[in-house]
Amino acid sequence: MEKVVPKIGLFLCVQGGRLSRTIDVNAMAGKFAKAKNVVRCEVVNDVWDPPFLDSIKKDVESSNIDRIMWVGRFTQHQIKHIEGELAATGLNVYLHEWCDLEEQGIGIEGTDPAVLKRKAESLVQMSLARTRLLVPLAPVELPASDALLIIGAGVAGIHTAATLVGLGKRVHLVEKQSGVGGKVALLSRFYPRLCDPHCGLQFALDKLLRSDLVEFHTLSDVVSLEGGPGNFEARIKKRPRYVNEQRCNACGACTAVCPVDAPASLALTGESSAGPVVSGAIGDLLQPKQKAVHAAIPMAFPSAFVVDRDLCPPGCNECEKKCPAQAVDLNQSEEDQILRVGAVLVTTGWDPYPLSRVSEFGYQRYPRIISNLEMEQLLGADRLGLGSHPELSSADLKEIGFVQCAGSRDERHLPYCSSVCCSVTLKQAVHLKETNPETNCYVFYIDVRSPGFDEDLYRRARNLGVVFNRELPSRVISNPVTGKLELQVIDPALNAPMEVNLDLLVLAGGMTPAQGTSDIAQVLNLPQNSYGFFESHYQCHPEESQRTGIYVAGCAREPMKVSHAIESGHLAAMKALSFLEGSILIEPTYPVVDKAKCDQCKRCMESCPFSSFVFDEKGFPIPDLARCRQCGNCMGLCPLNAVSLGHNTIKQMAAKVGAINPSFMGDKEPTVLAFLCQNDAYKAAREAVDKGLPVPPNVILIKVPCAGSVNNALVADALSNGIDGVLVGGCQDGQCHYVKGNQLVQKRSADLGDKLKSMMIDPSRVRFATLEIRDASKYVDLMQSYIAELRVMGPNPFKI
Amino acid sequence: MSRKIVTDINEVPTEVIETDLLIIGGGNAGCFSAIEAKKVDPNLRVAVMEKAHISRSGATAAGMDAINTYIPEGKTPEDLVRWSRSQVGGGPIREDLALSNARELNEAVEDLESWGLPILRDEDGNPKYRGKWDISIHGEQLKPIMAEKAIQSGADIYNRVTATSLLMDGDRCVGATGFGIRDGKFYVFRAKATIVSTGGACGLYKSYTSDATSSHHQTWMNPFNVGSGYAIGIRQGAEMTSLEQRWVATRTKDHCGPVDTISVGYKSSIINAKGERILEKHYSHLGGDKAPRYIRANAPMEEWLAGRGPTYADTTDLSPEDAKDLKTDYLNERPSFVLFLASRGQDITKEPIEIYGSDPYLVGGHCQSGYWVDIERMTTIPGLFSAGESAGGTPNKFVGGCATEGKLATRGAIKYMASVSLPDLDSGQVAKEKERVFAPLLRGPEFDGVSPLEMEERMQRLMDEYAGGISQFYRTNEERLDYALKHLKMMESQTQYLYAKDLHDLMSAHEVLDRLVVAEVLVNHLKFRKETRWPGWQTRSDYPELDPNFDCFVESRLNKATGEVEMFTRPYEQVVPGDRYKA
Amino acid sequence: MPPRVDREKCDGCNAQQEPLCEQVCPGDLMALGEDKKAYCRSRRDCWDCMSCTKICPVGAIETRMPYQLGYHVAKLIPMMGTDSITWTCIDINGNVERFRYKNRIEPE
Repeated sequence: MEKVVPKIGLFLCVQGGRLSRTIDVNAMAGKFAKAKNVVRCEVVNDVWDPPFLDSIKKDVESSNIDRIMWVGRFTQHQIKHIEGELAATGLNVYLHEWCDLEEQGIGIEGTDPAVLKRKAESLVQMSLARTRLLVPLAPVELPASDALLIIGAGVAGIHTAATLVGLGKRVHLVEKQSGVGGKVALLSRFYPRLCDPHCGLQFALDKLLRSDLVEFHTLSDVVSLEGGPGNFEARIKKRPRYVNEQRCNACGACTAVCPVDAPASLALTGESSAGPVVSGAIGDLLQPKQKAVHAAIPMAFPSAFVVDRDLCPPGCNECEKKCPAQAVDLNQSEEDQILRVGAVLVTTGWDPYPLSRVSEFGYQRYPRIISNLEMEQLLGADRLGLGSHPELSSADLKEIGFVQCAGSRDERHLPYCSSVCCSVTLKQAVHLKETNPETNCYVFYIDVRSPGFDEDLYRRARNLGVVFNRELPSRVISNPVTGKLELQVIDPALNAPMEVNLDLLVLAGGMTPAQGTSDIAQVLNLPQNSYGFFESHYQCHPEESQRTGIYVAGCAREPMKVSHAIESGHLAAMKALSFLEGSILIEPTYPVVDKAKCDQCKRCMESCPFSSFVFDEKGFPIPDLARCRQCGNCMGLCPLNAVSLGHNTIKQMAAKVGAINPSFMGDKEPTVLAFLCQNDAYKAAREAVDKGLPVPPNVILIKVPCAGSVNNALVADALSNGIDGVLVGGCQDGQCHYVKGNQLVQKRSADLGDKLKSMMIDPSRVRFATLEIRDASKYVDLMQSYIAELRVMGPNPFKI
Repeated sequence: MSRKIVTDINEVPTEVIETDLLIIGGGNAGCFSAIEAKKVDPNLRVAVMEKAHISRSGATAAGMDAINTYIPEGKTPEDLVRWSRSQVGGGPIREDLALSNARELNEAVEDLESWGLPILRDEDGNPKYRGKWDISIHGEQLKPIMAEKAIQSGADIYNRVTATSLLMDGDRCVGATGFGIRDGKFYVFRAKATIVSTGGACGLYKSYTSDATSSHHQTWMNPFNVGSGYAIGIRQGAEMTSLEQRWVATRTKDHCGPVDTISVGYKSSIINAKGERILEKHYSHLGGDKAPRYIRANAPMEEWLAGRGPTYADTTDLSPEDAKDLKTDYLNERPSFVLFLASRGQDITKEPIEIYGSDPYLVGGHCQSGYWVDIERMTTIPGLFSAGESAGGTPNKFVGGCATEGKLATRGAIKYMASVSLPDLDSGQVAKEKERVFAPLLRGPEFDGVSPLEMEERMQRLMDEYAGGISQFYRTNEERLDYALKHLKMMESQTQYLYAKDLHDLMSAHEVLDRLVVAEVLVNHLKFRKETRWPGWQTRSDYPELDPNFDCFVESRLNKATGEVEMFTRPYEQVVPGDRYKA
Repeated sequence: MPPRVDREKCDGCNAQQEPLCEQVCPGDLMALGEDKKAYCRSRRDCWDCMSCTKICPVGAIETRMPYQLGYHVAKLIPMMGTDSITWTCIDINGNVERFRYKNRIEPE
């Protein structure tokens, strides 16, 4: 590689004399005009005066200057503007260095001018050292797929898919069941309008049917995911349907001849109260018998039927023989498929918490105790085509109780609140009362959580005469003679126990991540939180997972109501759009591994918060450019300094550190170098200066992408250069924008501290501090006490 | 993993790699060979077999504090050759090789600086000379800098693969075999040309500090350079030169670190227990402080023998700044010396540094023992080249010279390979060597035999007592040398009992096997030169004087058919005019 | 000379197949033990090049003089910067001496 001799234009921008209040800018210009590689150096009174910028453009065009160092106070807008204007004349935007003296305390009156002069010179030297090492960089364009993979064709998946195909994007919907719709397809009514959930689902499905851009993969699982955003390769395994999807016209002739009469599969609801415990008509409703060959479930979409092969009697092929369209094929086998997609959306939904574990309420022990999801099935029974069921409207089911928080908000079961169960109970009670006014509904609760406009639902329930009792039953048993339930519960008004006899008890159970979530988590390498839901970034980026290009939405992320799940899916899809453009533009500030130094210890790969590293053909770790979020933690922890971020290389940072005059405060006062993370800590420091707080002049700041990007070797450089204290400012646990950069650097700092101790150097010369974005006062206090401690410690023994 | 236990030779995978240039030994010379090869022809396939990890392998593992030869302004390559010649008592040396090296020497050193090596310079930008030819550097990163360049050049580096023998096609070398110390594979490298740059041979002799619990490897030179490069050539009948010119020098006592830093760099005189400056007192006729190296090496030992020990490098007149600079130099080359002084609570401005000799080594970069090579650096085996400390004939190469040799050997190899085509792989030869290599491991840890450590200890004590080791103040005589040969041969007949418990042990087993081969040839060289030409380096009690009949090179060659080492001579040719004995 | 590994600090380089010290040792003397921590398989064979001590990212390795050579206990601690190195030497009497110098330059 040719060695380029830099030609630096250095401009001291005084903007109305701010800088010249405290330093002699002309003397400074005179001094730095003679510095190595500086070809033009002057004081500029007004940067915006057109002749000035024109003269720079001329210099750039005639190759007199090949990079520019700006000393002065500029806003981010102004920086972008100037870089953009000069880019038009051919100066790469990465060949600018911006040195703001004021944010470092120059310009604050009251400090010893000699100190300010030395500090200002150090700061200019630092930037100059970096400027010499700048190289032009260009973004990288990666070709990408324009397809989205949606795992889980429930309400969130289907609605999101419908919107995306409307935008012209291709969608692959992968669903483990034979039909789509998920849990919502099992529901009886939506609140508050008590409308039919299938209506909305069908609306979206119709859109999808009309589109060429969507492909459904039912009975399918994602078994592996390789690659990165823009270029994922998902391998799908499709279980055999045993029915040819193209030929089947859902006439039902097969079902009619099927000899099988088995209990319905529990795949949809997980658990059932039916069987020997809940029998009779209710049992039939909850677990209707099924044939081996039947329509897709939960919704008959795709329309083709499906055979539950393990239910087939050996040797039987009646359906195959009988099918008029010759659509049944009992010899079908598993299929593999590779899908190339740009992003992945996980909407795998939820499953009910197994209420059998909440033993005090007798689920699966006594008859007539069901879950809230099973209540949906009962209420929707008349639509299931199972005929009318007199028992539902008979005196036999008159007294109906609901127990809220069954197994929720309970350390023994689900410690959290599933947010919808109260509204669901209210909806069910209202529906019951409206369709069967003679029914008596009792709601046993701890709190009624019907937030927002759902308060209406609560009022409706009260007005309809639903009884609310603010205590949960202490005892539930079944009367062996009548088969009815006897509850014992405290009446809080009387503060006395009472007995309630019920015909049916509905346990409002909570939501857990769907079965198979952990498998998906493994396949996609997604971390789960302690409840098993996929981790996301909560407030600011709720749909983002820790794997770039993979988004999580709906109840796979946390329990939420249907409308939220739909919104959540859409938000995630919007984010995913940047990876569905056909190409991805990567900013050139990504990490580069120097393979001459790297010895493949793989620390970077192990510790990357986003698992962005892959192996190249020779076994070296390299970042997947689309997955990488350019936080620089790899650069920070590489023990061989083999990783550098583009435009923020280890050498550039080391050059800055090496250029600091460690005695700029004179020989009585300590000097501090602070590496501050650009998201929070740096902003706090900057605000402290802008607000005129008493920021000690002893500190020189270097802004870094993440506290975790600070390599111990740079701290060692600072100490060996004679700087008295080194501080790394970052975020608290749980707040780091890059998940754990703060933790990684703290561990390293502690190790370095131990080494310093063995070297007979006070380990607290090096420290980590947490600062939030507006912690300006905290920053000042922190620095003042740090510097006071350093005064007591005395100068760094390496100071010459 | 080193712990793999193998019970069947068929379990051992074989990996065959075809390349153009094979470099055995990724040290100083080896790295330069690789870099030069890729510079000359970026499309050349280059493979480096490195026993350790190239980033810190070889003699420069800890670093270097000086480059001992760099021609200053006003001096010529001929001047350097003259000096080198005088340092070994007027030779005989291979002046043709030395001159061709000296002509390119400075460029190799400047390469290092351009790659990031800090050469100390004064305010005017001139390199700081600490001696006539030596410049000071801060070379703690010397090896990583060279290694990175070698990797960047595009050569394929095979770390943790040690060479066990050359691959032969009749009489010519067509590559080498070896095994992986971590992966346990058998490697076959098929190459059009091969360069051996494995450094010298340490550990042929017992180090005087070696004991049961510690300090086995308290040697001046890297103890992991055992002479395998020599051995693989010797076994194929390569001609070796001057092995009797063993490298012995004054070292810091017990710690066995370099002393040139002190005596040359800081001009500290060598004194005895009486405080007398021994070089001035006893060797002024040979130049006093500027006497040939072996005189300076042997002098302290003579003082001990005469009862005037201990001997010291007198640092008591150093200023505190110089003392600190001296320690900084050590930190760059042999940092544990600073720890050693600290472990004795020693202030060198108050207590001088004690010095003594070291066990003898074979180092073709300091002395001239190694392969006999032609001007293209090819050995007497066609297709086999040698560079650095493995190559013989030219002493005083040091870092800069070995780097230059690396470049020259590569150019020779590239020229040679233009007319070479590789034969088919000789699977019989490969199978036989694979059996030999893995035999100790297959015998397994429960085998009732001899461990590599036991055999190594026996050999080292044998050599020390009978072949002129340090306990004998380097003296030997015909009868002792015959005794040494007899017992070396007994050990060689017993190598069939060597067992290894894991791959690291297998490496140790082969180190012993290779050292035995080199030791036997070395003893033959010591026997053959019936004179004492370089006392200390080569002292015959029965022939204590110099004999002009031996003003020639002593050469050896193993007769593959008979297994006997044949000894003969080659005449000295003066190329650079002038008085041989004066610099 | 033999390296001493602080078992509390050593994390075996996250129990990779080859921890950094094992990767770098010119004598193949460092290895990962059954407990997933590094150890020196033959301390008498160490040449005290200190490559392991320099490279350990958590500072778990210390080089010591064997008692045959020097008394108890002196320390020599390297701290690696990006282009400079510092050494701190503490002798058996507690005297501290510090060194620092550049070990890489950016050539003109």
